Amino acid sequence: MTLDMELALQTFFEESNELLSDMERILLDVEMDATTPEQLNALFRAMHTIKGSAGLFALDDVVRFTHQVENALDHLRDGSLQLDEELAGLLLRCHDHVKTLLDALAAKEALPVDAGLPLLEELSARLNHGAAPQPSAEPAPAEAAAPSPAEARASAWLISLRLGPDVLRNGMDPASFIRYLHTMGRIERIEAISVKLPAGAAFDPESNYLRLELIFAGEVEIGALWDAFEFAREDSRIHIWPLDEAPAHLAELSGEVDAAEAAALQAVWQRFGLPDATAPAIEAVAAPAAVETAAAVTPRAESGKAVHAEARQPKPPESKFIKVEAGKLDSLINLIGELVIAGAAANLMARRADQTPLVEATLAISSLIEQIRAGTLSMRMIQIGEIFNRFPRVVRDVSRELGKDIQLTISGADTELDKSMVDKLGDPLMHIVRNAIDHGIEDTAQRRAAGKPDTGTIWLNAYHESGSVVIEVADDGGGLRRDRILAKAVERNLVPADATLSDQEIFKLIFEPGFSTAEQVTNLSGRGVGMDVVRKSIEQLRGSVDIDSEPQLGSTFRIRLPLTLAIIDGFLVQNGDATFVVPLEAVIECIELPPAQQQEGTHDCLNLRGEILPLLHLSTFFELGAAPGKRQNVVVVRFGDSKAGLVVDELLGEYQTVIKPLGSLFRHLKAISGSTILGTGEVALILDIPSLIHYATRKESERYSPDGEAGRRSRTGSPS
Amino acid sequence: MAKTILIIDDSISLRQVVKMALSGAGYDVIEAGNGQEALKLLDGRKIHLIVSDVNMPVMDGISFVKEAKLLPNYKFTPVIMLTTEAGDEMKKQGQAAGAKAWVVKPFQPPALLTAVSKLILP
Repeated sequence: MTLDMELALQTFFEESNELLSDMERILLDVEMDATTPEQLNALFRAMHTIKGSAGLFALDDVVRFTHQVENALDHLRDGSLQLDEELAGLLLRCHDHVKTLLDALAAKEALPVDAGLPLLEELSARLNHGAAPQPSAEPAPAEAAAPSPAEARASAWLISLRLGPDVLRNGMDPASFIRYLHTMGRIERIEAISVKLPAGAAFDPESNYLRLELIFAGEVEIGALWDAFEFAREDSRIHIWPLDEAPAHLAELSGEVDAAEAAALQAVWQRFGLPDATAPAIEAVAAPAAVETAAAVTPRAESGKAVHAEARQPKPPESKFIKVEAGKLDSLINLIGELVIAGAAANLMARRADQTPLVEATLAISSLIEQIRAGTLSMRMIQIGEIFNRFPRVVRDVSRELGKDIQLTISGADTELDKSMVDKLGDPLMHIVRNAIDHGIEDTAQRRAAGKPDTGTIWLNAYHESGSVVIEVADDGGGLRRDRILAKAVERNLVPADATLSDQEIFKLIFEPGFSTAEQVTNLSGRGVGMDVVRKSIEQLRGSVDIDSEPQLGSTFRIRLPLTLAIIDGFLVQNGDATFVVPLEAVIECIELPPAQQQEGTHDCLNLRGEILPLLHLSTFFELGAAPGKRQNVVVVRFGDSKAGLVVDELLGEYQTVIKPLGSLFRHLKAISGSTILGTGEVALILDIPSLIHYATRKESERYSPDGEAGRRSRTGSPS
Repeated sequence: MAKTILIIDDSISLRQVVKMALSGAGYDVIEAGNGQEALKLLDGRKIHLIVSDVNMPVMDGISFVKEAKLLPNYKFTPVIMLTTEAGDEMKKQGQAAGAKAWVVKPFQPPALLTAVSKLILP
């Protein structure tokens, strides 16, 4: 397969996946409401387009399967089959099978073709049951067979072309047939018979009046000649004979036309050197053109109406997108990061040179760069609907499996966030939703007893809030059981038995590793890999999870994420000559280090309004070797529920910057998560707050643990 | 000058392959994703042949051909319909609208190329 073909195949996979998810969405919608003709047509088109394109790539297995599904959808469309829940389920499974086939093709694996056979049987059973049995024809070959036996061969032919009067109106140029013939051999003689040409006003320039007689020389089969006129065959009278047999048919041909035309025909043939047809058997044959025109009028009018009615129906708007490889966008964003830095450097130079026009010019460039950066970053933003859309299916399948009646309400699907984040968000969100179905929503019996409607509801919602994206998963179930969570946590030694914890703190215990309150391990949750993985993957995205829960009213999981991963709102601090960036969302407050504690190394803790805050001296930690500044400051940072104070020389303020990942050589560094380049061209390291806090608290607890004060640790919060 | 063919199909991959085949044979190819987009391309430029899908969103192939046949510049532009629906009903509709030739999907590029070359040569 050529490279071009490979690329086209890639496009085919992407496009098919889009069509399949459309199909899934419609099928799920359909389960709730009555169907509209547009929906059925869209369903049909999904299979239709996949089949059509698959044929182009000679993916016969896909064509065979989709053909059958398309056939069924066609019956749905014309109303001979009704879409009910069972059929929608079956079609969903067919959808899954097509997806499996395509995935296998994309991965160049063997196709699980046999898995589709039972589906096809079910489909055909439905078809025979719901409608008159219709043998599903295999897709017809692209070329219709020639009507005349293709075996006949000759080197010279007589071709008599009486093209129908509508041939021009149908978009065909008689000359193009002649040109095509010319590619197959040589046209020895050609003459037009124009006796039918009317004079003056009766002449309709859109009608064809000509009859063409030609002698064609070429070693071809008669079938190939017929094929040349394939498109014109329907309402034309075309005759093709080997030249030496032609005279025998002359009489027959003259009989088809009126006297004037027959005379002209004979004259032409004589000029061609063909023997005279002396006895024209005049059999009245109705002018074929007239008959066919009459026949064509009725369907034309009918179909005209049908098409018109169809055009009036509102069609779903088609969104316009260009597909761009994510890697290209990433390298563009990277380049723009460099551009920002280069721009800042130019700015600095201009200022040093003290030339006002130059400064102004560089400033104008900087503001443009800023706009470009914002624009490029927004290109990476995609609608969260892309993940939300897979949930109706999940909720449907899982709730059915558990025998619960649950509806899903989605809002804010058009909220945008970074593409790389969307990819990683799917799994944690899936886990939370499954958890809500499994543990959140009660059995119907319990719901009735609690006076709630039988149908449980799960809400998926997303919105922007002050520079971050919030995603909520809410249910109207029984809520988290505070006492049971606490009991379990105590049993597992996660908290001391006498600890006094706020509701929030207790709910957060479910994110601890190995925590599961489900009494029964179901297929879906309670398998140990649980909410701790959810929290971990969300924290990897620099996000956080909160839980609100009310007994009997339900729970809400609130995931808060930064808008993008490529840009960070940082807080710039300085120690000696080194500049560090602390992610702003980790910073709680900044305070001055009390003068009594200025002496480095004397205390590793600070009394922060009655709370013990472990301190980390960045100069010591990174072994910067610089003398501490005159006035030292503490940046109080938080991760999860652990806090620590970073002791720094100077606070430089907020700074928005592009994150550059560290090279592979530095991948194992624990305290640093990335780097960025400042306007001056200097490199600043981005601190990895979780691991720094972990280090600070461990250092502190090591110091105190021999005195048996480990219990205090959990009060300050345990690192995870 | 190479002859121009307009391809209309909602499947991008299909357009890609058809375009490859046709430009390989020496035609100039322009594309549209549905009938409405295609109508915008009928701005007076010379188009020698139109290859159109039938079942498309926004505007289907039949409606497109009807509209196109109303434009003086494109009244006589030959149209090949690409279709999976090879039934008589479809042919009648296509014929009534003004398209005469059709190629049945799924097809292989050579089949389309042959059909095209019967109507116009590069």
